[in-house]
Amino acid sequence: MDSHEVQNRVKKVIANVLKVNEENIAEDANFIFDLGADSLQSIELVAAFEEEFQIEMPEDKALEVQTVSDAVKFISQFLA
Amino acid sequence: MDNHVFDKMKNIERIFSPTSIAVLGANKVKGTVPSDILTNILKAEYKGVVYPVNPREKHISSIKTYKYVVDIEDPVDVAVIVYPSSVMHMAIEQCGQKGIKGAIIISAGFKEVGGQGVEREEQIKAIARKYGMSFIGPNCLGVINTDPAVNLDASFARKMPEEGNIAFISQSGALCTAVLDYARAKHIGFSKFVSIGNKADISEIDLLYYLKDDPKTKVILIYLEEISNGSALVKAAKTVIEETGKPVLAIKSGRTKAGASAAASHTGSLAGSDEICDAAFKQAGIIRCDDIEEMFNKAIAFTYQPLPAGNRVAIITNAGGPGVLTTDASIKCGLELPKFNPATTEILKKSLPKTANINNPVDVIGDARADRYNVAISSVIKDDNVDGVFIILTPQSMTEIESIAHEISRISSQFSKPIYTSFMGETDVAAGIDILQRNKIPHYILPESMPIAFASTYQFKRMIEQKQEPLKIYGDVSIEKAHSILNKAVSNGRKYLPEEEAAKVLEAYKFPILKSGLVQSGEEAARLSEKFGYPVVMKIISEDIVHKYDVGGVILNIESKNDAEAAYSRIVDNVRKAKPQCSIKGVLIRKMIPPGEEVILGLKRDSTFGAVVMFGLGGIFVEIYKDVSFGIAPLDNKAVEKLIGETKAAAILSGARGRVQRDINSLRECIFRLSQLALDCPQIKELDINPLIILEDGKGCFVADTKIMI
Repeated sequence: MDSHEVQNRVKKVIANVLKVNEENIAEDANFIFDLGADSLQSIELVAAFEEEFQIEMPEDKALEVQTVSDAVKFISQFLA
Repeated sequence: MDNHVFDKMKNIERIFSPTSIAVLGANKVKGTVPSDILTNILKAEYKGVVYPVNPREKHISSIKTYKYVVDIEDPVDVAVIVYPSSVMHMAIEQCGQKGIKGAIIISAGFKEVGGQGVEREEQIKAIARKYGMSFIGPNCLGVINTDPAVNLDASFARKMPEEGNIAFISQSGALCTAVLDYARAKHIGFSKFVSIGNKADISEIDLLYYLKDDPKTKVILIYLEEISNGSALVKAAKTVIEETGKPVLAIKSGRTKAGASAAASHTGSLAGSDEICDAAFKQAGIIRCDDIEEMFNKAIAFTYQPLPAGNRVAIITNAGGPGVLTTDASIKCGLELPKFNPATTEILKKSLPKTANINNPVDVIGDARADRYNVAISSVIKDDNVDGVFIILTPQSMTEIESIAHEISRISSQFSKPIYTSFMGETDVAAGIDILQRNKIPHYILPESMPIAFASTYQFKRMIEQKQEPLKIYGDVSIEKAHSILNKAVSNGRKYLPEEEAAKVLEAYKFPILKSGLVQSGEEAARLSEKFGYPVVMKIISEDIVHKYDVGGVILNIESKNDAEAAYSRIVDNVRKAKPQCSIKGVLIRKMIPPGEEVILGLKRDSTFGAVVMFGLGGIFVEIYKDVSFGIAPLDNKAVEKLIGETKAAAILSGARGRVQRDINSLRECIFRLSQLALDCPQIKELDINPLIILEDGKGCFVADTKIMI
């Protein structure tokens, strides 16, 4: 899976969890500061990424992922 | 005042009285901090404009909501930030870009959690500094300003307090909410209420300077868990008190000893952090309280009533027992119960029943109604011998509780003498207490609390009336000589200066020290003793021995050549037996100082408050008697008098129980010189002069032994 596809799917997940328009999600958008996620939604996002990509993200590391680009990079490691 | 401080004061003023506020991270989820902060601002009917900021909401509570603070079209004075700590740097950066100069950072997750939190706090401090922004918090409850021109409740407390003249600064947010609840029940109002949290930028020190000039604040209360800059706190409180006469009351938690660190000197072991904190607060004029109740008991006395002209109080009661309890407590607090003028006694005699007690305390008898209280209070308060009145009421079947409360309030408003009350009980007296509290008459559940509060106001008044004298600086000292000895020792990696070298440092500061010499043999000891004249004292000199007595390293009253030779051998043998591995530099010989009272002078460098000077009863039992007091250098006249006066040694030196009056002036001079040495020579970590022998009045004093830790 190339990084472009990962990014598209990450954005879809974010749009779905945070109920925001996918087109408005910038690559460097911060889940909290730019997209308005609260702490519970940050956890929901991790769970949704795991389900979408069929991976298991270690919780402590996963919660350090704060932006769309962080998420793409982090998930790509598991798909390599 | 430099520009930085000036800007900070301007920024603090903005924080308390903003014309517009942005709430960054506000949301619609009721019962959450971000939602409640915005709700409180709106509920308090804030007089400025509010801008919620949330990237997902178009409006919150019918107010247009902005994605970013930089999107707000108009200028914004202050930001209240409730974003999680992980994005706080982004929020602060945008606030800076927006030109916001004041922020209240509510969120936790900074220094208090350690690790990454510490880095985050440093990061936001750096960003704020870059933009010349000041902030309260992080990790705090928020800020309240009850001024009706502002009406700001930027906190997540349950309710806005009443308007008043007490400013409250707290390091604990949770305590703030408890205090607000406690105060509301008693109708205690606040001018400013601020939770400083981690005090990463604006501290209690900045707020003291700000509140000094706040016309709405008459009394400042502080709750502290940790003091980061003790000497600055002392300076700030002193400035507030001396320049404005506003009392500063503080609770510093953590009074119990966690165990003083192992200290080499007597001063080091006796000067625990709480003792030093106590001394520093006293010197600054800060009234230290043990708990919230004591703090507010005193605060209402300061805020509601005039300061007393003297310590003479009248007690009016309808119950004998509580009258006696209050009398006892008054005497214990250093108050007097004066005799009334004949005119007062005459009125009381005419107006009260025969069974009433018309002397002080006045007992209006259990069946007293409002008229008896009225006549007793009105006549007693006019008496020239009375500086304040305590009124006690117990609820009998006929007691007109509410009428009496109204009468007290009416009379109090007509006189400039303090009136305190204690309506004893709970439910029956509740309505009366409510009247008193609404009319700003200090009320206390326990009558014994009245004299405690009164004594505090009286002592405060005396303190602020005392004239400030310039610091004593001696021009005959040699800083260079002291530095040369100390710097040499420091550069050689030494930690301790034994008596011989320590004495040289003291000599450079003109302490009274008799000549001495170091010898390495019995013969030399005999020769030098002959030269000095008898009696002499001999002491071991070794860098490995701090307490010479403990190892048999001191022999006193040596009267002859033969004794001197023998004493040398005995000292060396004793020390060799007690500490076989120690290196002996020699034996010091000094002429015996004539008999006198032994006191100790000490110095300790405290990481929070700086140079701490200690005085007390000296000699080898100093740590057993623990009759010592502390002061923070530089010591002025007032501080030196307090230092001496707080100990039992003061009475002994003044000739108690037929003892000889000692030369206290020479002791004062030594304390001033030690204070100067403490400031001039930061190399000294600890210093003991023990004993300093105080001779008869006019004959001076002498340093008998000393040691310095570097």
